[in-house]
Amino acid sequence: MPNFKQIINLSKSLAASFLDKKKNTEIVEQSQLFNDEDKNYIIKNINDDSSIEKRQNLVKQIDKEADWINVVKRIELSNYKFYWRLSAAAIISGVLLTGYFFKDTFFGTSLEKMPIVLNVKPGKEKAILTLEDGSNITLEKGKNYVSNNLNSNGEKLVYNSGANSKSKNVFNYLTIPRGGQYFVKLSDGTKVWLNSGSKIKYPVAFVEGEIREVELVYGEAYFDVSPSTDHKGSKFKVLNQNQQVEVLGTEFNIKAYRDDDNVYTTLVEGKVTVGLEGKKQYLKPSQRSVLDIDNQMITISTVDVYNEISWKQGIFSFEDLTLRDITKVLSRWYDVDFVFLNKSIENKKFVGVLDKNQNLEDILSTIKNFGIIREYRINERTIVLK
Amino acid sequence: MTIKEYKSLFDELYVSLCLLSNKYLEDLDVAKDVVQDVFLKIWEDKIEFENINNTKAYLYTSVKNKSLDYLKSKRYKSTDFLSARKLEKVETESFFLREVVVIEASSIVEKAINELPDKCAAIIRLSLKEYTVSEIADELGVSINTVKTQKKIAYKRLRPLLEEYYFLIFFVLNIFK
Repeated sequence: MPNFKQIINLSKSLAASFLDKKKNTEIVEQSQLFNDEDKNYIIKNINDDSSIEKRQNLVKQIDKEADWINVVKRIELSNYKFYWRLSAAAIISGVLLTGYFFKDTFFGTSLEKMPIVLNVKPGKEKAILTLEDGSNITLEKGKNYVSNNLNSNGEKLVYNSGANSKSKNVFNYLTIPRGGQYFVKLSDGTKVWLNSGSKIKYPVAFVEGEIREVELVYGEAYFDVSPSTDHKGSKFKVLNQNQQVEVLGTEFNIKAYRDDDNVYTTLVEGKVTVGLEGKKQYLKPSQRSVLDIDNQMITISTVDVYNEISWKQGIFSFEDLTLRDITKVLSRWYDVDFVFLNKSIENKKFVGVLDKNQNLEDILSTIKNFGIIREYRINERTIVLK
Repeated sequence: MTIKEYKSLFDELYVSLCLLSNKYLEDLDVAKDVVQDVFLKIWEDKIEFENINNTKAYLYTSVKNKSLDYLKSKRYKSTDFLSARKLEKVETESFFLREVVVIEASSIVEKAINELPDKCAAIIRLSLKEYTVSEIADELGVSINTVKTQKKIAYKRLRPLLEEYYFLIFFVLNIFK
């Protein structure tokens, strides 16, 4: 008996020769996978207009999207049964579960409409520090970490100042997972706020008199740079795979997520230049540069700075953002994935200011109340929107 | 499997699997139910697949088995009559595999054509039905030159797929010679 890979390979080569208008009878004849009757069947059914039309008519009667929704509903229903058992067990042991399930089952809401709700909590202070020897330290609330040049109370990380090393630079990395955010003070006094899903590389100590360089490997960071005048005129540079920002002492935000086609740099105060290979452009306060990574083009415009940096103050400020962009932000902070059941809503726009410190469900119900989405379902860490 | 991967698997194979089940059941609505049952099961059992060939082997085989189960079930027997001879025939491995070849090959063709720009696709569909260039031009109300250029564009786009799959032809032939 032929194995399945041979069947698939045969299908691919038959499709290729059909598309190329070459005779595919020979391929079938010589394949020796089938007897003559089956060979004739295959040749006829792939090539004959009437067979093709018959098949196309059948395909037209299959509504893939509607059937997909049906499958999703059935998955939720079976999950519901599972949680119901869990809740029943909870009653017996005297523990009260969320109450959500009881309310709806006892008051007879239809099962189909019932979302499976697990409280998706907002992100919190959380980071992984990678030391020069490659070892990783998890930083989170309640965990203190102290070494000779840095200390952390779990909620922020501070490098000792003045420890200017004249030797070769030693680098640390700070990685913020999805669902985390962090604050770090570098040894020169520069303050950096890091958003969810970000990574930064920096020297443990800066070499006196040389350009201070850090790298935003990916993600979003807000920099409050300690002025050059305090460091014998040493400039500060933020490198990224796609651009570099040169600084003279200033506050600005860089957003360079890997799933984004653009890198955004917003200047709050002071003066910076944004540069690609060989080109440099100045930004004035309240200006934002957008680098299109594909075309290597930078466009500069004046923006409402508040929208760009509100994340740092614990607020989502969505203005004129599409639902697709909003879900990107939410998926980083809540560590969830979104699935759109119908593509048409992806480009709908939502304007609103929301507190980051609330459960995801509250945010989704706000967006729903605005009529941007008709329905949402939370299924563990996957959110289905329609 | 994440729900994203699950959805893309559904997108890729749902229609083909319905066609296979329908071949056994000759009832498209029941066929859809059978295929949805199979999809539900791979989600609930958290089945992870090594590669796309394994996935296809598993799904096509499951749909075949479920369809045959249905044919042998009491519910079906009470409403339809399937001769012992016919049942024997549809239970053979070759009945299954030849259908998979037809469905897979035609699904590749359909997907490849559907990815072309609309005008291109319409021209290629007629061309594959053995229409000549001037017949296509007449049928679609465009100039002969347009047909020629669009055909060129179409084949330029199809080239990578054709080259990849042509390679398999030698593979298919050589192995069994």
